[in-house]
Amino acid sequence: MAFNPKQKILIVDDMSTMRKIIKNMLTKMGCTDLHEAEDGAPAWEMVQQAHEAGQPFEFIVSDWNMPQMTGLDFLKNCRADERFKTLPFLMITAEAEQANVIIAVKAGVSNFIVKPFSIVTLKEKIDKIFPG
Amino acid sequence: MSMLQDPDMAEIVEDFCQESETIYSQLEEILDSYEDEPESQKLEEFGQIIDRVMGAAKSVDATQTGLYCDLGKTISYKASQSMDQALLDIVVAVLFDTVEILQRLNKNILETKEETVSGINLDAFATRLRWLADKFKDIQRSSVAIAPDETKVEDQKSIDQLLADLGL
Repeated sequence: MAFNPKQKILIVDDMSTMRKIIKNMLTKMGCTDLHEAEDGAPAWEMVQQAHEAGQPFEFIVSDWNMPQMTGLDFLKNCRADERFKTLPFLMITAEAEQANVIIAVKAGVSNFIVKPFSIVTLKEKIDKIFPG
Repeated sequence: MSMLQDPDMAEIVEDFCQESETIYSQLEEILDSYEDEPESQKLEEFGQIIDRVMGAAKSVDATQTGLYCDLGKTISYKASQSMDQALLDIVVAVLFDTVEILQRLNKNILETKEETVSGINLDAFATRLRWLADKFKDIQRSSVAIAPDETKVEDQKSIDQLLADLGL
């Protein structure tokens, strides 16, 4: 499935600045339907509610290290639910640790990106997740 | 041009400084609380909170801020697993200094778009932090990472290779 800039995207990060940076990059890529959550816990609620309302999220961009629910637990919740098993999920982290990557891949992450990153890197990752 | 000076990034950089200032106050409160009642989870909490600034700092080209946050995170996580109270007292004092330097860097970013602190040799302070981190070299977990540091990889390229090896 090719990436559609009009798709509904959820950006999850506990640092407002990071959400703005990611939002800024996605906006430059033409994305318009962007939503934010400041932790995995409210993000998980939003994902379920959006699905129940018939307007599901189509792509998640989430930080790993968050206080209430980590990005990894958020990912695991998604993958444990039949409705979100294949929901594209890009994990962002400041920690480039091999073991974390392996764990995230095993948990079903779609791809992985390390802070800091450029719009070019983000676009490359999105292109890999959504091959045209 | 550094993002700190990029007019297109001005609003994000200003927001970063304001958000960071709030977080630095939180970090000071944690250290104050630790001094009143030394509990290891407070140092772990310090590490988790300073990590928030680290990623954003690196993303706006605030490299010195990113470096001090990185070192502060490593030291606080490792210290949270140590029982050496004498060393922990030094750690808390150094972390107070770290937060103060971060606050001064933050102020200068806001006012001058530069990461400088007059009267302080930032490289020497970073060396001091590295020396302290080295005191905990036998403690492996330096972050929220699930596995110890020997599995650390350095950059996005390495991660991409690993992802390719794993089929992504």
